[in-house]
Amino acid sequence: MSKHKIALKVNGQRYEVEVEANKTLLRLLRDDLEMTGTKCACERGDCGLCTVLLDGVPTKSCMVLAVEVDGHEVTTVEGISGEELNAVQKAFIKHGAVQCGFCTPAFIVAATALLKRNPRPTEGEVKEAIGGILCRCTGYRQIIDAILDASKSA
Amino acid sequence: MMVKFDYLKPRTEKELTTLLAKHADEAKLMAGGTDLLVLMRDKILKPRYVIDIKGIPELRKLEYSEQHGLRIGAAVTLNEILASKIVHEKFTALWEAAGALADVTIRNRATLAGNICNASPASDTAPALLVLGADVELKSERGERKIPILAFFRGVKKTALERGEFVRAILVPNPPSGAKGGYLKWGRTKGEDLAVVGVAAQVTNSGKPTVRIALSSVAPTPILVPEAQKAFEGGGSAGEKIEKAAAAVVGKICPISDVRCCKEYRSHMAGVLTRRILKQLTGAS
Repeated sequence: MSKHKIALKVNGQRYEVEVEANKTLLRLLRDDLEMTGTKCACERGDCGLCTVLLDGVPTKSCMVLAVEVDGHEVTTVEGISGEELNAVQKAFIKHGAVQCGFCTPAFIVAATALLKRNPRPTEGEVKEAIGGILCRCTGYRQIIDAILDASKSA
Repeated sequence: MMVKFDYLKPRTEKELTTLLAKHADEAKLMAGGTDLLVLMRDKILKPRYVIDIKGIPELRKLEYSEQHGLRIGAAVTLNEILASKIVHEKFTALWEAAGALADVTIRNRATLAGNICNASPASDTAPALLVLGADVELKSERGERKIPILAFFRGVKKTALERGEFVRAILVPNPPSGAKGGYLKWGRTKGEDLAVVGVAAQVTNSGKPTVRIALSSVAPTPILVPEAQKAFEGGGSAGEKIEKAAAAVVGKICPISDVRCCKEYRSHMAGVLTRRILKQLTGAS
């Protein structure tokens, strides 16, 4: 199997790593870079819990090979805000939009990207943006309310 | 754990055709990878080489000209297609089908070419390409050729691609003026799932009326139903013509029962969706 030296930025920091061809971006983040905020569940593109931003665009990191990310920029939940929590994170706390919490990083990442692109989304646009992410606790109502609330305070 | 392979990323079409000529039997092409990575993880596909086509600039272009219509490079993502104003306005069946496929995050990676090369009977985009009369441009070391999308699907997960060939672009001619198109997907959930039935249609009312209908998830390949056109050529009210077209669709398809539903339900819903989309597009009540 081929190995590849790649350079990428994760949360603003530059990394140079060697990856095997079959390693996904998800596994690179969790196993090699030890950023476990990005969750691993189905690993087949269904659940969306591994969503990160790839060059600012929400992407399921289990559906991307690490080697494909050479020269690109990744943002994970660890880098989604600065010192302080961002508006989406604060709204999630306010609305109790977290139950078991396993899907929360993915929703935070996708919602933050949505509000950056579209600061005043409709409820339909919020649903569309998070449509690829599953919450097994089914707490979607609170999640949608939190994102809409964050859009008002942003 | 995913199967082991060598990753190759050609930068030109020439490099790609050379690689394919050498490794065709052991290689799989990757555009978005959203089908391929799952199949390799499940060890259904065990290619020795994975050839990523995203490094070839020509394949990333979506172009439109009034003369030739739409040309969608093999590495163009579904969200890039959805962002195109011209696709939304003129190629509505394709635009709606692209938007019905999986979810927005997958569509940031998934491509139209990948969807047709996967050749799933449940492809969302294939019925739209069938009603639009698209062509597929293929290339290999031996040269180029163009085939109608109708001839591209050869069976479940089987295409007309020959050894060493790759899909270079999908060409969609301009619909007749005044044509209206759409795609309806019936699934178990509103979110991401494969279609129980998918129906694309394009209707032209001006001049000689034309009605094109194609479906997914109801036969071994996505299918066009030319008989629907005949239903609109005879006499009768708009409602009667729609009923005839729906009957033609139900008579033509051969659905199976699977994890999503039984074949009887698929047949029934194919008729319902055909009526629904034709009413929408013709304005009949």
